[in-house]
Amino acid sequence: MPFVNHRVLSIILTRWPETQMPGDWLRFPRFLQGVRARTKEGDKITVIIPSMKWDEGYSYAFYRSSYFLTGRQVLPLVDAEDHSHMENFYGSQYVMVWHRPVHPRMGKVVWEGEGGALLER
Amino acid sequence: MTATIVAMLSMTVVGLCIALAIDRSLRGPMLLGLAYLYGSGAIFIVMFVMTILHIRWNLVTVSVLLIAIAALALIRRQPGTVNRPPVKPHWLDIPTAISIIGFGLFATAAPLWEWDFWAIWGLKARLFLDHGGIDWRFLESPWNAFVHPDYPLLVPFNFDFVALFNGGWSDRWLGLLSVGWAAAVLLIIRGLASDESSVVPAALVTLVVTDLAASRYPGLAEGPLIAFGVGGLLFIRRALQNNDSAAWRHGPILLGLAASTKNEGLALLVSATIALLIIRRRDVWRLWPSVAIAAPWLILRATHYLPTDIASGSALSRVLYRSRFTGDILNYLAAHLYEPWFWGSILLGLLIAPSVMRRREGFVLIATVMQIGFYIGSYFATPHDARWHVVTSWPRLTDQMAIPITYVVFLALAKYVAAMKDSPDVEARPVES
Repeated sequence: MPFVNHRVLSIILTRWPETQMPGDWLRFPRFLQGVRARTKEGDKITVIIPSMKWDEGYSYAFYRSSYFLTGRQVLPLVDAEDHSHMENFYGSQYVMVWHRPVHPRMGKVVWEGEGGALLER
Repeated sequence: MTATIVAMLSMTVVGLCIALAIDRSLRGPMLLGLAYLYGSGAIFIVMFVMTILHIRWNLVTVSVLLIAIAALALIRRQPGTVNRPPVKPHWLDIPTAISIIGFGLFATAAPLWEWDFWAIWGLKARLFLDHGGIDWRFLESPWNAFVHPDYPLLVPFNFDFVALFNGGWSDRWLGLLSVGWAAAVLLIIRGLASDESSVVPAALVTLVVTDLAASRYPGLAEGPLIAFGVGGLLFIRRALQNNDSAAWRHGPILLGLAASTKNEGLALLVSATIALLIIRRRDVWRLWPSVAIAAPWLILRATHYLPTDIASGSALSRVLYRSRFTGDILNYLAAHLYEPWFWGSILLGLLIAPSVMRRREGFVLIATVMQIGFYIGSYFATPHDARWHVVTSWPRLTDQMAIPITYVVFLALAKYVAAMKDSPDVEARPVES
């Protein structure tokens, strides 16, 4: 395949990380790049996504965020046993909200785009 | 892409000096393959020492130390131990080269995509690049246990070396490093096989193992682990069979670098030590370079309390509990064996090979069996669901150990066939060991 149809292979593999989980994640990397540009080293950031279940996308969102936001401290709101960790919400300076409506109690919107919003607490 | 290529060429030049310092008689493919591996290892050691000494990484500081190592290596050259004939090329090398080019196109088709790249190896590399060294606070955080903080750091540091050349993080062309590791081990295999057999079996065995060397997981530590581990085992085998003092230097250094690549490399070091204890106890001390290379990270990860998932909680109670299901676990492993026809062929080849040859290859065979035993043992100790752990790791783990055993079985059979051709009565007498 690398010799025969390199372009198709390239497209498949570029999207690979975002197509391994249920849901629409294709714009998630660009959203995270936007968040990286608007936050600084050492900032504590947490993430809210449609499904707050570890094996239904949350682990992906948390790991992927950790990769794109190195230098910041990404904190999860649920753990592998699906226990809630609201202390991380209250301890974060920023909240990333992906594919969910923003509630004023979550914080002040700093930036919206690529399917998500960055809120400052 | 240019930065990655320049970084790879730089590491190869440094590695050339080191390889020749270790063994003056090196030439041809073996020299080139070892140069890449030693260069990769030198980068790990330099960046590791710098981070321990709290010297922030940048292109200048890392390069100065690498140049110093290369200069020292040029001054201190070991005498050659073997008068090696040049390796003759063969048309069978062409499909091997084409396969590696194909692997190169695959590994660079996109930014590295594997989950374990961006959740473990690439994440650490990117993090350490921002930090200018190891970020202990990140590794010690319980929220970041998913990055496997205990894993050795050769691969992330090699990614960081490329990023220093690049002037920042980019995962677009890092797959080229994986191609380099695969090509390096194939060059070493081609060189080693040429030293002990004629050109056709040497070229053929290299072609046969190309698929295994070109790990299906570019960007992960599988490829470099295979390269360092295979190199280490095959050089120790050579040392045992030929009393080659240079091979006694290459093998342990490469095993130490394998142990600096992945935890399986540490297990491989233990397996090789046990195999050597059984085969030739008096030479075990010669493995000291492996221990010297692997030990600093083991000490640091212990002092920083970095957890190992297999050993977390009560590993012994999990082993005891699962031991009741030994039959089920072994059946499950058999059912999920990757390429069963391949392992069947290896087993058949072992049975066909004369017993004298099997005894002669005892080191590699025992080390392979021990290592696979460790892998199977890990499924009894895992804190994860054992079925999930088998499905997600068993094919990768068996791939890691496939090359050394393929090499020895293939060459043993080739020599057996050649001996039969030379002397039709060969079956009536034992093959000389």
